[in-house]
Amino acid sequence: MTKINRLEIKKLCVEVEGKKLLEDVNLIIPKGEVHALMGMNGSGKSTLMMTIMGFPKYKISSGKILLNGVDVTDMPIDERARLGIGIAQQRPPILPGVTLATILSYLDDGQPTKALEKQITYMKMDKYTERDLYKGFSGGEIKRAEILQLFAQSPCFAMLDEPDSGVDLESLQLMSVLMGQLFEKDEACDEACSGLIVTHYGDVLENVHVNKAHVMMNGKICCSGNPETIVDVIKSRGYEACILCMEKGQ
Amino acid sequence: MEILKEVGVYVEDLNRSGTMVIRDESPIYISNKTSGMELMPIREALDKYKWLRDTYYWKAVSIESDKITKEYMGLDPQGFFLRVHKGAKVKLPCQVALYIGEEKKSQYLHNVVIVEEDAELELITGCLTDPIVKSASHVSVDEQYIGKNAKLIQTMVHSWGEEVQVQPRSGTIVEDKGVYEHRFVVLRSPKKSVSKPNTYLNGQGASAKLTSVVLGSQESEIEVGGDVYLNGQKSSAELIHRGVSNGGQIYQSGLLIGKNTCRAHVDCAGILLKENIGMIESIPGLHAYHPEAMMSHEASIGRVSPEQIEYLQSKGMREHEALTLLVRGFIGSETNGLGKALDDQITSMITLAGHGEAEERVCTA
Repeated sequence: MTKINRLEIKKLCVEVEGKKLLEDVNLIIPKGEVHALMGMNGSGKSTLMMTIMGFPKYKISSGKILLNGVDVTDMPIDERARLGIGIAQQRPPILPGVTLATILSYLDDGQPTKALEKQITYMKMDKYTERDLYKGFSGGEIKRAEILQLFAQSPCFAMLDEPDSGVDLESLQLMSVLMGQLFEKDEACDEACSGLIVTHYGDVLENVHVNKAHVMMNGKICCSGNPETIVDVIKSRGYEACILCMEKGQ
Repeated sequence: MEILKEVGVYVEDLNRSGTMVIRDESPIYISNKTSGMELMPIREALDKYKWLRDTYYWKAVSIESDKITKEYMGLDPQGFFLRVHKGAKVKLPCQVALYIGEEKKSQYLHNVVIVEEDAELELITGCLTDPIVKSASHVSVDEQYIGKNAKLIQTMVHSWGEEVQVQPRSGTIVEDKGVYEHRFVVLRSPKKSVSKPNTYLNGQGASAKLTSVVLGSQESEIEVGGDVYLNGQKSSAELIHRGVSNGGQIYQSGLLIGKNTCRAHVDCAGILLKENIGMIESIPGLHAYHPEAMMSHEASIGRVSPEQIEYLQSKGMREHEALTLLVRGFIGSETNGLGKALDDQITSMITLAGHGEAEERVCTA
């Protein structure tokens, strides 16, 4: 049986303030699959995620983005979110006077479920729910708040931008477990969540079954394959190995 | 009476200690069954209590203050008198509506609130015009007296027709360890409003927290300020102004006058929703006359950043929903009890400012 492609990106080129950041990016993530996106700083990983989400700063000069077969290329950011795309940002803005509880309540249709309340406690975020969002939050607290919102949103396609960078070990473990739950539904299930995770080391993927890994360099996906193999190569030989591999390919 | 709910006055609500409604210049409804609290028309109180005129009437506001107060010479206009007796702690809020129901009406009022030693009161004052009234004038003299160790929490909500002129003159005297909290909210802005209450913290350890929230619609001119005199030893004050303009002019000021050992802070902040229309001026001020007067001020004006709006949109909120949430957050939590009325007005302003249509939320995620 052919799997439905949850996310399909075709020849995507993206500019920010006139500067080309992504070039001819092609990517397919079938329903229920989770892919890892790796690459050096500035390679275009976050740009790809912010473009998929629809942040206006990221201008699509050509190419298409499809979610469940629906062309979302020109769709506003909030419509994409309501269609089922969700993101846990790396550096979200501070929101004075807006609390995590307010946003979670909105995402959970105004009535936080027991499951969400349980997750808030599990993530040790009870005392942060009534504080101004991200004001004085540590790196780990920001990541935990972001993934809690993603959990409350229940997207059909979830993106996590470097959930493992700048966080303490405890936060890493807590997030890893919640990410596992976010993606745990059976692939055959209609509600199965697909995802894309930007990670440098793969540590956060302990509880998530990753189907494929991709490596980005200079705004292009230059390598795709078995996640364990790719993580092992990058961990042992660094991105130099990817550069050499690309040069050989050329 | 349904309309009064907009400004927080719920007539015949069992959760109120007392209610009075003044339409134009006539008291039309009074209810008070709370022991230790008196609520009556001011003229009745002046007849009943000789000491009222001698000790309180025109003592917190001088009749010589300005042109407006001088117009009161020889007049004893109607208004309300509210007194909480010594030691009485009134548990439920008392409410008064000052309502203009007639077009072109000039409403002159004089109101006196006395919270005696060790007493406590929460007061909601709603000032408004009927929806059919576009043009009118509201002038009032408001005097508050807070005794030793007493506490008055007052929420004043204004909702006016677009051509109305509003000129309140207010004075509050706070004695030893007295506490005064005043929240002033302009929901529907009039054509022009000048509100500059004077607060005299005369007693040792007297304190005040004065907050204003102004939603300034197009072509309105709203001036909020207030001088706080920190005369008592170890007196303290906090003065907070929040203004949101979608085309109106908002003038925020606030002067702290430290004449004794004291601590005080004034904070003015504003948000402009529209480009090239409207204006916000923020001028906090400090006058120190004592070496141990510790006072500070801050002021900021800006707009809601696109990054904040887009972040909330990435959670599925429409632009106007995101803006409403951010503006509500900016205003702060000083307006409890006004949730829906305030949110409706913010949403209306945001829609008028061209940030998306207000529509039912449909979440398909």
